[in-house]
Parts: sequence; C-alpha cells; structure tokens
Amino acid sequence: MAIPAPSRSEILALFRSLLRTARQYTDYNVREYTKRRTSDAFRRNSHISDPAAAAAAFSDGKSQLEVARRQAVVYSLYTPKVKSIMEIHT
Amino acid sequence: MATKLMTSILRRTSLKPSPVRPLSTAAAAAVSPLPTAEPQEDPTGISIKGVKISGRPLYLDMQATSPVDPRVLDAMLPFYLSRYGNPHSRTHLYGWESDEAVESARSQVASLINASPKEIVFTSGATECNNISVKGVMHFYKDKKRHVITTQTEHKCVLDSCRHLQQEGFDITYLPVRPDGLVDLDTLRSAIRPDTGLISIMAVNNEIGVIQPMEEIGEICKEFKIPFHTDAAQALGKIPIDVDKWNVSLMSLSGHKVYGPKGVGALYMRRRPRIRVEPQMNGGGQERGIRSGTVPTPLVVGMGAACELAMKEMEYDEERIKGLQERLLNGIRAKLDGVVVNGSVERRYAGNLNLSFAYVEGESLLMGLKEVAVSSGSACTSASLEPSYVLRALGVDEDMAHTSIRFGIGRFTTEEEIDRAIELTVKQVVKLREMSPLYEMVKEGIDIKKIQWSQH
Repeated sequence: MAIPAPSRSEILALFRSLLRTARQYTDYNVREYTKRRTSDAFRRNSHISDPAAAAAAFSDGKSQLEVARRQAVVYSLYTPKVKSIMEIHT
Repeated sequence: MATKLMTSILRRTSLKPSPVRPLSTAAAAAVSPLPTAEPQEDPTGISIKGVKISGRPLYLDMQATSPVDPRVLDAMLPFYLSRYGNPHSRTHLYGWESDEAVESARSQVASLINASPKEIVFTSGATECNNISVKGVMHFYKDKKRHVITTQTEHKCVLDSCRHLQQEGFDITYLPVRPDGLVDLDTLRSAIRPDTGLISIMAVNNEIGVIQPMEEIGEICKEFKIPFHTDAAQALGKIPIDVDKWNVSLMSLSGHKVYGPKGVGALYMRRRPRIRVEPQMNGGGQERGIRSGTVPTPLVVGMGAACELAMKEMEYDEERIKGLQERLLNGIRAKLDGVVVNGSVERRYAGNLNLSFAYVEGESLLMGLKEVAVSSGSACTSASLEPSYVLRALGVDEDMAHTSIRFGIGRFTTEEEIDRAIELTVKQVVKLREMSPLYEMVKEGIDIKKIQWSQH
C-alpha cells in the first residue's frame, strides 16, 4: 500500500517547524543557510504532482527536521562568546 | 520541550566558574604572570596577536578549509559517543557496526566520482594521497619508468614529492602554464617520453580556481598508456567528476574541502587497468595493504556523509555561488579600477575569486581586512614573504602578485557577507591608494615602467 501524499496543512506545519528550528541556531551562517535552503526546497518541490514523490520529499523533510533539531542543541552548547561581525554591526 | 529544559539546565550548571577566594593559593595560581598567546575573548571583542576585532570575522576562505556541515556532524557524533568500535575488530558488535559504517561511507564517496567502492582507499588527507600516488607509483615501476610530468602550479605536496624523487634520480618535467592558468596540450604531448611513468595535473587549482581540460588530458594519457593522477581535492563536490570520462588512474580527495571533517581523505585507484603503488604507511595491511593503520570511523563517516550531501546539493550550490561571485566581482569593479582577475575567467570554479589590486601593497591590504577572513596566496605558503609561485608561473608581475587576494565563496556564504566584504575591501583599497605616491603619478598620466629610479 502506497504512503499517502501529505496534506497541505502537514506541509505547512513542517515548513514552519523547520523555520522555527532554523531561528534557534546560534551560528549566523548555519541559521541563514537553514532558512534559505528550507524556503528554496519547499518552493522547488511545490510543483510535484506525483503523490509517491511528494510523500518521499515530505519524509525526507521530516528527517531533516530531526537532524536540524539535534544540531541546534549541539551548536547552542558550544556557542562562542563573541558573535559574528555580521550580527554586531547593524 | 524536554530538550529546551535540558539545554537551559546544562548551560546554567556547566558554564558557571567556581569562585576563587582572595589570598588563597588558588588565587595565586589563577593569576598567570606570562602573557598567553591565546585569544582573549570577552563580549566586546576578540584580541589576538595584537589585533582587536569586535566580532568573529566573516569567512571567505573556503579553499583553505570549509566549515563542517551540521548534517555531517550529525552523522559523525554517534561514532564518538556509543559506536566507538575499531572497524577491524572482527569478533564483536562494535567492530561489525563500525565496519559497516566504513563500507557505506566508502560507497558514498565512490558514487560521487562514479567509481566502484572497491577502488577507494581512505587516508589522512589529500597530502597523503598525493604522496602515495607520486612516490608510490614511481617506486613501484622504478625499473622501467624514470620520468614524471607535472605542472608548475601544482600543490606544494606534489611538487615536494617530485623534488624528493628528483633527489633519488628520477627526471621531472614541470610544465609551464599559459597566462590564464591552463595547461597547453601540445606542450604536454611534446614532453612525453617513452619512460614517462606518471602525469600529475590537478583538476581545480586551489589558488586561482582554474579548471584544467581534464578530458583532453585523459585522452592523451590513454593514447600513450601513461597513468594519470589528479589532485581533485578542490574539485570534489564542486564540479561533476567522472573517473571514466576523465580516464584517471589515481585521484586524491580531501574531506575538509567538501564541508566534512579535517584529517581524512580518500585515494581513488583504478582497477581496470590496475595501477599498483608501493605503500607509504606499512603495518597490518588495512585498506588492501595500501594504507595500514586503523581507519578512523567517525572521520570516514563524516566524509561519506559530506560526499552524499555534495551529490544532492551540487546543482543548487553551484547556481548560488555563481550568482555570489558575479555580485562580488561587479560590486568591486563598480567602485574600483585596476582590478585584475588572476586566471582564466571562463574555465573557472565560481567559488574561487583571486583578484589583484594595482598600486596597493598586499600585506597592508590584508592587515586592514581583519574583519574578513581571506587569504593571499595559499594557506601552505602564507608563512613566507615571497609571492605565490602559482602567480609567478602565470607570468603575473611581482607587484601584482603581492597584492593578490583570494576570496572563497561557499555553501554558507550569504549576500550580506558579500556586500560587507565589498564595502570593506573597497574602503581599504581606496585608503591605501590615497596614501600611495605611485597611484598619484599614475593619475597624472606618468607611465611607471618608464621611470628611471635614481640612487640617492
């Protein structure tokens, strides 16, 4: 039995969780990358019509969310005392 | 929810230092009389080597090394925490699971270069791979083959290995390159002798970023049946690599240039036709006898994860980095004149931009760019004051070679960082040029090369 394609609300929930996790990163470069990559990936995958491919992309997104959550914790444990120059100058 | 609680507790308990009572022996010990060379970090900035910066510089030196991708770190951590077995232990779970991880990493690396996992040998980095390739191949075939062809712009480890071979009595031809950094195929053809045992040409240069015509060189090597070695450390994960299309027999790969950990690399060795090498590390016969020593599972898993990521992200990263490179170059050219790009502009990896600024002194430019982490020349040669040998091989004038700056753009670089780098570079160059009497003379129209400098 094929895995059903994710519903619109599920996709939006995943998108929001990924962006929320991205905001938690204390490293400037990784934070910006996670936000940007998430938006670009969801935008690119928004044109998928085949339900199997959509389900595969969704489950890939969920596993990326798990990775992002764990690494946000690790990065916050080892935050350097001084921030990046990009975060200091306005 | 639980993780938030856990991290806040951890942060509170682990970072608070225990109070030191005054007049106690602990207080005396805590005051260090010697000035330390460690960076003094406090919330107002970092002070190291007499320089004070208000924050961590923005990183534009991707050719020296690249930050470890969080997804790669995630793959590596279990092998430092609970799965710490030696992959060569055959008798228990720790060894079996570690071995499985190493083999799966091997196939991840192999699929990025379109090779078979049996052709990959893990080493400690591209330098070791280059040593094995150059010295190992020539020592193995030393009875019949006494000649090696390489270029003048190779990485120092290849050139040094060749110099070592020269001392042993081999002949080495260092091919000159054209002013755009590319190797001339006819020069290569004419340098080939009947006793040529190896041709070593790097795929993407670390200093100027030019991409050599690999397929054409591979064709020549196939025609003359000479093993072709390439140092693909900078090329891996950035340009599509196919060992069959390029017809390489040996390829050096590095982990820390593809957002993986430092201290690991891989050597591709062709099986059909088989290339044989004399091992440089002797021992228990691991890695098919080519490189003995325990395979570092966490590092190897990291390299495998980095290669798999690179395969998925190559197209996306390339598009983005190309856009950023154009932004950087146009931004600098819009505000400054006398900016020269070193190396071919067409056959170039987009993430490497090597610029020379005329009438500006290189050391002072770098000293003023403390908020941007860039390099001039390559990290390996930056300790000495002489200008980079790569730029000299391109025929760049001494004064232009001294002012070259290499901007390295990567996966994690943002548009704002590029804009800030443009701003800082332009400001510094303008400041230096204003102070420069040479620049004044040029503005008045005097041709500097025609000046007769008098002795005082």
